[in-house]
Amino acid sequence: MSFGALIGIFLGVALVNNMVLAGFMGICPFLGVSRKVDMAVGMGCAVTFVMTVSGVVTWLLVHAVLTPIGAAFGNPEALYFLKYVIFIMVIASMVQLVEMYLRKFFPSLYTAFGVFLPLITTNCAILGACLLIDMKPEYQNLLNATVFAFGGGIGFMMAITIMAGIREHIRFSDVPRCLQGPGITLLMAGMLALAFMGFTGIGK
Amino acid sequence: MAEENGSNFRQFRDGVIGNNPVLVQLLGMCPTLAVTNTLENALVMGAAVTFVLVMSNLVTSLLRHQIKPHVRILVFTLTIATFVTIADLVLKANMYEVSKKLGPFVPLIIVNCIIICRAEVVAIKNGLARSLADAFGMGLGFTTALSILGAIREILGSGSLTLPGGATSLKLVQLPAAFEPHAWIIMVLPPGAFLTLGVVIGIVNQLRYRKVKGGAA
Repeated sequence: MSFGALIGIFLGVALVNNMVLAGFMGICPFLGVSRKVDMAVGMGCAVTFVMTVSGVVTWLLVHAVLTPIGAAFGNPEALYFLKYVIFIMVIASMVQLVEMYLRKFFPSLYTAFGVFLPLITTNCAILGACLLIDMKPEYQNLLNATVFAFGGGIGFMMAITIMAGIREHIRFSDVPRCLQGPGITLLMAGMLALAFMGFTGIGK
Repeated sequence: MAEENGSNFRQFRDGVIGNNPVLVQLLGMCPTLAVTNTLENALVMGAAVTFVLVMSNLVTSLLRHQIKPHVRILVFTLTIATFVTIADLVLKANMYEVSKKLGPFVPLIIVNCIIICRAEVVAIKNGLARSLADAFGMGLGFTTALSILGAIREILGSGSLTLPGGATSLKLVQLPAAFEPHAWIIMVLPPGAFLTLGVVIGIVNQLRYRKVKGGAA
């Protein structure tokens, strides 16, 4: 596997098929935690960490535990029905880990996140990354899967930070009352998605 | 008893209109945006979510005296994951094409906030009848919102609205042929999802403000 191919995977998931703006995953934190740039960056870092680690751990569990045990009973895919339950358990424990770490070392960030920190568990981008790694044959290789998960996290961080930057400015604009809050945010997200469509074709 | 039925009906109606999970509470945004490029996808997704919602509310409501408070989220998640696995296998067996189009968004029902929210707010505290009424109401509300978005995007994106079903394919709307060359392809692409949902939420808010104003006068 060449280095160029890894860069292709990274750019593909971070820019071309950005998980938030083209894949519609992680919309809840994208709309909920994008009011301030510093919080958006913190959220992006937490998600990137959880996504990378869970991507690797779930890959290992599928390829090094489920498949061999299934194969021992004659059918490598015999235990695949357990996948979803295992994925969500891994993600929940990773989030617990990040929560404990933040509470100990960055208490101010911990209080700023509030309820959104445990909600990373239900961030579809993370489970989505694990599922995509599991579905696509090109991520049979652990290195590719790791780069994919890391790129997905960076893409999420980029989208949410850009959004937070725009929202800090729009606070001083005269938005029609019915569009205030989620309405205008979704419209801006639509335009951001249009802009990101310009990346189509990179890395191929 | 009659009062009990009345409140159950209100719980059901609230899910569809007054407290719609997508358009008012803004829950479950990811599938709302991702699978509404055609009406068919929207309907299948709505049905799958309704099934999981009803089953998870049913199980949670029956187990509500056994579940210890500190493990409740874990129990919810595992219940939901189990029923999503069932729904996924059923879809793969019977509607393979649609299931392929929905891709990771069927397993992603596990992390759909609507379901865990209803388990936490209603099912863990209330009896069976009320939890089921709530689940059906929320499920129908979710399906309705998805169908509205799916219909708008399909009509503007391709100029017609079709419910495919093999030989019994049903053409619901057909815009004049003059529209065809100017179809807004962007509506079936990702940006169209954000723009449509933003505009629909704006319209719903406008209607709600007007209703509040009318009620006060």
